[in-house]
Amino acid sequence: MTESDMRSILKCVRCGTCRSVCPIFDVVGWESSSSRGRMLIAHGISQGLEVDEGVLNSLNMCTTCGICEQLCPSGAAPPKVVEHTRHQLVLHGKMTQAQRDIASRANELGNTLGETGERMAWLGESRADVKEKADYVYFAGCLGSYRYPELAKRTFDILKKFGVTVLKDEVCCGSPLLRTGSDPLELISKNLEQIKATGAHTIITGCAGCYTTLRNDYPDNLKVVHVSEFLAERLAEMDLKKLDLKVSYHDPCHLGRCNGVFDAPRDIITSICDLKEMKNIREKSRCCGAGGGVLKGYPELSQELSKKRAEDIPEGVDYLVTSCPLCRTNLKRGGPKVEVLDIIDLLEMAMEQKP
Amino acid sequence: MQKTDLLDKLQEIVGKERVSASAAELYCYSFDASQVRGLPEFVIRPTTTAQVSAVVRLAWEKEISVTARGAGTGLAGGSVPVEGGIVLDMSSMNKILEMDFDNLQVIVEPGIVQEKLNLALEPYGFFFPPDPGSSAMCTLGGLIANNGSGMRSVKYGTTRNYVLGLEVVLADGTVINTGSKTIKSVAGYSLTDLFVGSEGTLGIITKAILKVRALPKERSVLLASFENPEFAGKAVVKVLSSGIVPSACEILDSNIIDAINTYDPKVGLPRAGAILLFEMDGTESAVREGITMIEDACSSLATGIRAATNKKEREEIWAARRLVGAAVSRLDPMRTRVYLGEDIGVPIKEIPRMLHKVREISEEFDLPIMTYGHIGDGNLHTGMCIDMLDDKDWDKLNKAADKIHRTAISIGGTVTAEHGVGSARAEYLELELGKALDVMILIKKALDPKGILNPGKMGV
Repeated sequence: MTESDMRSILKCVRCGTCRSVCPIFDVVGWESSSSRGRMLIAHGISQGLEVDEGVLNSLNMCTTCGICEQLCPSGAAPPKVVEHTRHQLVLHGKMTQAQRDIASRANELGNTLGETGERMAWLGESRADVKEKADYVYFAGCLGSYRYPELAKRTFDILKKFGVTVLKDEVCCGSPLLRTGSDPLELISKNLEQIKATGAHTIITGCAGCYTTLRNDYPDNLKVVHVSEFLAERLAEMDLKKLDLKVSYHDPCHLGRCNGVFDAPRDIITSICDLKEMKNIREKSRCCGAGGGVLKGYPELSQELSKKRAEDIPEGVDYLVTSCPLCRTNLKRGGPKVEVLDIIDLLEMAMEQKP
Repeated sequence: MQKTDLLDKLQEIVGKERVSASAAELYCYSFDASQVRGLPEFVIRPTTTAQVSAVVRLAWEKEISVTARGAGTGLAGGSVPVEGGIVLDMSSMNKILEMDFDNLQVIVEPGIVQEKLNLALEPYGFFFPPDPGSSAMCTLGGLIANNGSGMRSVKYGTTRNYVLGLEVVLADGTVINTGSKTIKSVAGYSLTDLFVGSEGTLGIITKAILKVRALPKERSVLLASFENPEFAGKAVVKVLSSGIVPSACEILDSNIIDAINTYDPKVGLPRAGAILLFEMDGTESAVREGITMIEDACSSLATGIRAATNKKEREEIWAARRLVGAAVSRLDPMRTRVYLGEDIGVPIKEIPRMLHKVREISEEFDLPIMTYGHIGDGNLHTGMCIDMLDDKDWDKLNKAADKIHRTAISIGGTVTAEHGVGSARAEYLELELGKALDVMILIKKALDPKGILNPGKMGV
């Protein structure tokens, strides 16, 4: 362990503030499942604590939602320590089966879902609109491409009139690998080469995981915007009608708390219908439970977090809207009292002219 | 008895899912927020008094130590199992069993978090006053076992003042009830008072009858700036001796002011050698009158006085103040707050003298010492941040902390006003208590003759 790694662990004074907000700890209840516990485990490894199943579970039961870092008085950054420690352990071959599966699938298939079909099939007849060169690239992501292909197509169909293209051979952005400790270097370089070839200056994505990865983990300081940010600035050009709806909005952790995108989705919502906020929002939003490899590695735990998040949905709303397909997938698993929509689904309802 | 046999028996009592002997879990339970360490052999998360009693009974028979723990936020190692054995993590016993507002009381399990209790009381117009910095995470059990208090103690006293009765599991597993729901009772020794602040060395608290208070109608906060902490100390003596009882009276020195402004820039405290934060609560007229009197009392010593204008500003100030103990770590990326020598209390009259002594100690050891705390009741928190990887810094820290403790005792003070003795301060009890410590040891022997309850703590 380097000195700087050690210092980041030692920033934790074990005050326990994170115990009051860690959504995993809230469900599991054992100290090793809290952010403080994970900081201790990282410390323990440096002191020779044997890496067994308990250690791996502690470290991997973290969605990297970042609420601990947000509220940590002493300035510690547990999600970074968790990701870094996962990475160090993976380098030594110490990982869970879920971590292994995520890495091998992404590296073999270019997606973490085990899909073997053509990734860009979602384009359908819009394939003809894909341009070689453009100012903007829409990055559909694994979930967009394979689980929500119609949403991906609708998104592109809205975006293409603004001079947006897609990558012909997009692969996983690398987020699931980075969050779970593996290296996505090949995936990154494959995407990066294609992005450069389009000449685009900005990448647009509709996924919180892709957003944070493209923005913070890719080289060259790529300019990345979320589709909600891109469209919130172009609402006037979209011929939108008012909807007689009241919706609530779930902030994806990796879009909101980790990158500060709170207002754009709300601007879109409030321009077309009424917004009634959830119980915990913006910086203090509660995680849906899917991120950081938790949905894959600990599906039942992930679902429990989603059930807790569902309790934050206010009464009297027609839909719960979010802006990340992974959050959407997991929020549905929590049995919410209303349907969960992507922000693009809502936007499309308000468009006089469907794309 | 083999460890596996013991594990089987413990699992029989609380169920498989509520016992852990995994190395990862044991490691996590070998800490609190102090520098004390001790690895348990088992961690158990009981859900009922019967389970606690059965576990303690087993431990009694097998002579295994049992250390109770709430949220593990202690600053003196009180919940660290320094002699191994079993840790009883009480945080799952977190229910409010009864809200009896006609009698101004509630009955709670020990694992409930202070803030959650207050959130549950608020809609009914009541609150539980002891308000430690760790209120968002600390449990009532820990608060009772340490007789914790916090920012409101200058007016509302300590946890002890709110405990009417307890259910306690004794060292042999016997369950007793102390006190009652009556406000006054002189039936026998006050065993409730004995268990409050006993840090789990005499019994395990499994239930508590607590007094609650009606929420005040009005609150107001005043910030007074001073050239240095000593002037602030003098102002406190002046305010309190003029008959005003503020609901909080906190001191922040210049480093702490920086730390608060860094943690939450919205608070925007003025720069000064020291700030006193006064809070008055009560009826509108009493608050107004109190604030005016505080202003008058401080005017000759303060360089500036201003009121926090609204509820939001007030809440931001208190929220930041609660967490400042850890937030001082933000001032320097190379340094981390270490809790040592951080909880002295001195007679109110001696506050300026103690502040001066702290400054001398800081200079003597060439170690910045930040001062903050509940100056209204003489409780000063001294904050030291060190480079955790530098042995010389550790040496300075240990020496400075030792001197702070001894100085406090020498001027009639205490080594711990609210954080507890644990292992970290046990060595000073003889000096502070004299022969009274022998009485404590006799009590410990009477109630826990095998010495299984939280051994290695409180000098007993």
